[in-house]
Amino acid sequence: MKWLPFEYAVRNLGRSRPRLAASVLGSALVVLLVLASSAFVRGMEHSLTLRGSHENVILLGAGSEDSVERSQVESGAGAVVAAAIPGIRSRLGVAYVSPEVHVALAVDVPAREPVGQSAATRTRPGAEPPAAPPTTALFRGVTPAAFLVHPQVRIVEGRAPRPAAGEVIVGGMAAARLGRAAAELAVGRALRVDGQDWTIVGRFEAPGTVMDAEIWCPLSDLQVATRRDSLSCVVLTLDNAEFADVDAFCKQRLDLELVALRESDYYAKLLDFYRPIRALVWATAALVALGGALGGLNTMYAAFASRVRELATLQTLGYSRRAIALSLTQEAVLATAAGALIAAALAVTALDGLAVRFSMGAFGLRVDATVIAIALLAGVALGVIGAIPPAWRCLRMPVPAALRAA
Amino acid sequence: MIPVRYVPLVVKQIVRHRTRSLLTLAGVAIAMFLFAGVQAMQSGTKRATQTVAGETELVVYRKDRYCPFTSRMPQAYEERIARVPGVASVVPMKIVVNNCRTGLDVVTFRGVPDERFERAYESAFTLAAGSIADWKRRGDGALVGEALAARRRLRPGDRFDAAGITVTVAGILRSNQPEHRNVAYVHLDFLQRAGRRGVGVVTQFNVRVADPALLESVARAIDAEFARDADPTHTRSARAFVASAAADVVEIVAFTRWLGWGCLVAVLALVGNAIVMAVQDRIREHAVLQTLGFGSGLIARLILLESTLLAVGGGLIGSVLALAALRWGHFSLSVEGTSIPIDTDLGVIGWGLLCSVLLGAFAGAWPAWQASRREIVECFRAI
Repeated sequence: MKWLPFEYAVRNLGRSRPRLAASVLGSALVVLLVLASSAFVRGMEHSLTLRGSHENVILLGAGSEDSVERSQVESGAGAVVAAAIPGIRSRLGVAYVSPEVHVALAVDVPAREPVGQSAATRTRPGAEPPAAPPTTALFRGVTPAAFLVHPQVRIVEGRAPRPAAGEVIVGGMAAARLGRAAAELAVGRALRVDGQDWTIVGRFEAPGTVMDAEIWCPLSDLQVATRRDSLSCVVLTLDNAEFADVDAFCKQRLDLELVALRESDYYAKLLDFYRPIRALVWATAALVALGGALGGLNTMYAAFASRVRELATLQTLGYSRRAIALSLTQEAVLATAAGALIAAALAVTALDGLAVRFSMGAFGLRVDATVIAIALLAGVALGVIGAIPPAWRCLRMPVPAALRAA
Repeated sequence: MIPVRYVPLVVKQIVRHRTRSLLTLAGVAIAMFLFAGVQAMQSGTKRATQTVAGETELVVYRKDRYCPFTSRMPQAYEERIARVPGVASVVPMKIVVNNCRTGLDVVTFRGVPDERFERAYESAFTLAAGSIADWKRRGDGALVGEALAARRRLRPGDRFDAAGITVTVAGILRSNQPEHRNVAYVHLDFLQRAGRRGVGVVTQFNVRVADPALLESVARAIDAEFARDADPTHTRSARAFVASAAADVVEIVAFTRWLGWGCLVAVLALVGNAIVMAVQDRIREHAVLQTLGFGSGLIARLILLESTLLAVGGGLIGSVLALAALRWGHFSLSVEGTSIPIDTDLGVIGWGLLCSVLLGAFAGAWPAWQASRREIVECFRAI
């Protein structure tokens, strides 16, 4: 079969520059929206999937399997678990058992004080007006064991907080979560919670996980500040023990009212909780893409209809309908793929890593290979869907009738 | 205006290019569907969070707490709040949600004392099904808001569980106030006993003031009363409370207005594109019409009517579909135990149609102006 040269499709693109510009920009806009939606969903999935380790088991209060924030566990449960379950990982005699309190608190970032002012003199409730309204952030009260069970967390600046000193460390994305500039949460600055100032003594990173948007402080300090004597959960890392051992322990010690969940399962449930939101985002992107495809189809119908005579001439020159349809599709796909590439370039430079404050945390939009592939496929699909029906309509006309067409 | 006898001509022009018209209508319908959805979110947020004149309800929450799991106050505060001058009634509430994160299927239990709840809220809702007597009789009885009932397909007598609590539906509440539509009211002592260390502890107090003018002063007086207690309070109007608790959602909803504007631009582009193509196809036809005595102004108006009809047709389809989807879906965005309904009424169709008319006329203006300015001879030579 004789195929039309590729240059034919390329040169045809330049015949109407406004139409070319409309096709390229239109597809770029549609693909950018598909990209943003995919990046949102991938970012959310990534932060919750990376977070859950298969070796970690999370012990929650019975009936609170859906949300660690509302779970209540006896304060001594961590020590009981460490002593009662053999086969928990340990290093130099320290068991990988982390009692934790998770609580969402309203945070103010007071304006910077004069140099030399001590931390003690800063604890003056309401002494300074806040720079902006308070925002909630997730606080996690931890013991040093938390760094054992959450190896993704690395302190990259400063040091770990000391108990009873009113100190915290902040995650890499905590500033984004609070809607503040990173400098406002620099080491040495203060956070005001419930009228009490906490000094930032370190910055940690847990890239791609929900912990990256959290604020960590000593467990006892957070219990005192929130006037609670219970824990939210106990996280432990298995070594020789199996999940069934921990589960059996929870079922035997009914007095503790504990439920064991694999950490990966807990975050999978959380991801499942967000499914309607993700579905809404996808549905919006799909509707926009469909609207874009309909607009593209309309344009292509008009563009190809005005070339009926030209297409008939090509048939008389011996080119098959399939070859002409392929050339027309190449033409449309070239325009929409160019739009998709522009959108991908914009997304990589402007969207990738962009922090999204969402539901007690923050995560970064994620423009990875999968997202780019989805975007490019969407661009190609726009071109193919936009070209084939109008091309088929023009080409099914009998050649003599098409040659006589105005 | 266009004489009525020319309307069939415009309709025929639309029907003549069936594929083009259908594609345009479908595109406009999709854009207006999204636009109506965004409008519904915006208006739902506005209704749930904007303080209005005549408001008499205050919410007393633990100071510096936004999450129902962390706002814990002694139930004994109730008597002291009731003694504050200007307070008409106080209802202590314990709130339990299955998840305090943002979601579309959050179940919120509100534990309330039966008698005071009935007295304080009898004007706020009606019973769509079931009975209050059943609710009072059953310890695990729940009065379920109709949005939650529809979403979970609940009827009186059904049992359902969420957040580790199992209840029996005793009645379905109908209310025009957003906060009652997506919650389940249960007995306070039942909910307190369902959780650890819950007895004698509540999440919030809902206070009615005797006079709307006293709202601010009563709020200040309540906070002053507990300022030196172990659990100081923060009292706000009910809507201001929702606005602060759901600040993240409000922010996201505010951001969606850009999507709404984008939808309107899409309508403009789709209709404009279709009309430009239609006018391009009919250059010679317009010359014939001019030869037959049609004035250039009339031709322009015929084109304007065509573009407006396309936009209105698509707009009507999209708005009606959005209305149906939102009514059927009973969507609401919930966070921290508060709920923002994504709800709409016939007004959204009216608003959608108005936008469609304006956009249709705007999209057709340029091609109509161009067509009306062409000379007859030039038109005949054009193709």
